[in-house]
Amino acid sequence: MLTLRDIRRSFGSTTAVDGLSLQVQAGEVFGLLGPNGAGKSTTIAIATGLLRPDAGSVDLLGLGSPADAEVRRHLGLAPQEIALYGELTARENLRFLADLYGLADARSRVEGLLAMVELDARADDRTEGFSGGMKRRLNLAAALVHGPRLVMLDEPTAGVDPQSRNRILELVRTLAAGGTTVLYTTHYMEEAAKLCDRVGIIDHGRMLDVGTVPELLARHGGTAGEASDLESAFLALTGRSLRE
Amino acid sequence: MRSVLAIARKDLRLMFRDKGDVFFTFVFPVLLAMLFGFVFRGAATGGSRIAVALVVESDSRIAAGLAEDLAGDASLDVRRVTTREEATDGVRDGTFTAAIILPQSMQAGADRLFSGGSIPIEAIIDPVRRAEAGLIQGKLNELAFRQFPKLLADDAQSKRMFQSMREAIAASKDMGAAQKLAAGALIATAESFVKSMPGGDAGSKPAAGGAGAAWSPVQVRMQELPPRTGVPRSSFDVSVPQGMVWGIAGCVGAFAASVVTERSRGTLVRLRLAPITRAHLLAGKGLACFVTALLVELLLIVLAVTLVGTRVAQPGMLALACVLSAFAFAGLAMLIAGFCRTEAEANGAGRGALLLLALIGGGTIPLFFMPPILQTLSYASPFRWAVIAIEGPLWRDVAPAAQVTPLVVLAGLGFGGFAAGSRLGAFRDAR
Repeated sequence: MLTLRDIRRSFGSTTAVDGLSLQVQAGEVFGLLGPNGAGKSTTIAIATGLLRPDAGSVDLLGLGSPADAEVRRHLGLAPQEIALYGELTARENLRFLADLYGLADARSRVEGLLAMVELDARADDRTEGFSGGMKRRLNLAAALVHGPRLVMLDEPTAGVDPQSRNRILELVRTLAAGGTTVLYTTHYMEEAAKLCDRVGIIDHGRMLDVGTVPELLARHGGTAGEASDLESAFLALTGRSLRE
Repeated sequence: MRSVLAIARKDLRLMFRDKGDVFFTFVFPVLLAMLFGFVFRGAATGGSRIAVALVVESDSRIAAGLAEDLAGDASLDVRRVTTREEATDGVRDGTFTAAIILPQSMQAGADRLFSGGSIPIEAIIDPVRRAEAGLIQGKLNELAFRQFPKLLADDAQSKRMFQSMREAIAASKDMGAAQKLAAGALIATAESFVKSMPGGDAGSKPAAGGAGAAWSPVQVRMQELPPRTGVPRSSFDVSVPQGMVWGIAGCVGAFAASVVTERSRGTLVRLRLAPITRAHLLAGKGLACFVTALLVELLLIVLAVTLVGTRVAQPGMLALACVLSAFAFAGLAMLIAGFCRTEAEANGAGRGALLLLALIGGGTIPLFFMPPILQTLSYASPFRWAVIAIEGPLWRDVAPAAQVTPLVVLAGLGFGGFAAGSRLGAFRDAR
């Protein structure tokens, strides 16, 4: 589905991504974990075609680089920062994106998504008045409006209440069950343990290990099925020193 | 194309939901155009009193009384002139709002007041001063009514009036002998009553809803001058293009910042991920700016025509000038958008540059009032070309050949702005 081969990217003298390779399989939920500054966001930006790598290649669905508009059409992104027009209503935000993608069934698609993220009752309210959780849900819906085959969710549960967080996790499971491939970054180890089919842990721009949660725990000393053990494995791989 | 329209529609929605942008794009220019128009008009006519030229051709007592009352009216600034031509010229060049002529036929009209006649008064107005025309007409009726007690108190005048009535009755073919006799008796009674009256009360007014309301013994004939060409017909002819300059400046400022605003709010990521090109983004934002600039121009023209009586000399050419100036400034907006990498740059340097260009381009001081050095500098301002292109068909009524240069410059600015903007940083990031 998505293949990154030996990706390198520097910003001045800082190397953000250093020879990272990654393969995400169709239909899986792939968790990308790493401490702050590990290179997750740069990897996502390169994977979406928003940023050109200094070296290496990206292939989506065997169609080529997402720098190509037609390839990019199969990709959805819910960025870490809420990317919505606050002066527009929830419905207008989604409708704009549907029109931008030239969807023939824009109206029904928008209504379906509003219901899916449980914002149909607030569809005609401006999003600037929404709570953090509502904005996160709409941000996710905006990534799905064109029905992408691969959706990248960059910390989609950051700063939301438990109810919204639970709803977002349910949505991710629903997406995966429907055949959508998900690349998911998070700081919450228990989320990754519950949600992801495979997890990749990166630090200093390099992929440290990739595998299922039990595989990672087996390799790095944790006990399968316990969220705290994934955190132990994460710390074993990335170290305990503070990054900020 | 659908994605271009989607971007334009979205940007228009965002623009119209931003109170600041709406104020500076639509409200402020209208206020400015009206304010400048009224200020300049006030200066031309000597303040809030209506400047009126008065020509007294009649040597009748009623004409003298009316002239005296007009001169004493607090709302009028009456200046006596000797000929109709002089008065007409004064209205034409804007010295006077109107000319009032008390013609020689006033006496004859007064004599036949109760036998089918009326007192004629003439007024000449500039078509762009229709708002004041109604006021002047009302004032003339009011002051003319005030003359009636004087008229009836004047023995010679009332004798002539009653004699005229008797002659009219005698000549009537519709009245029988008995009716003529009765009418003659009625006139004799009325004449006795008038003779028994004390001296006239010049300050009295007809009772509201009385005989004067149903009967019109005063005939005020309002005559509009033919529209002038080549000179501003009113101060609004000058202030409306100025308002347009500021409206367009507000519009450009709003849309020039829109790309960096997309970046700061994170939505540029969504636009960059969508299957659109840099050209689509540029066209969508440019279209929204173009539509807004056109709306500003249309709003000001409609208000000028409906509220202050502006007459458009060449409507077709004005439409073309508006379209090309909107296109030019949409291009300029995209150029500034391409330059600016942050909201601070767009709102500071971008709007500052626009302000300067608007000032030297005729936004505050009309181009023809500028000293030579500023007039030369103004060639560098796109606003100058927009003002010239709009004034030409609005009131200058210039030949089509004279419109070519400003229109070509505006078209060039538009194409140049779009082409250069698309190659600059902000849009280059957008693929």
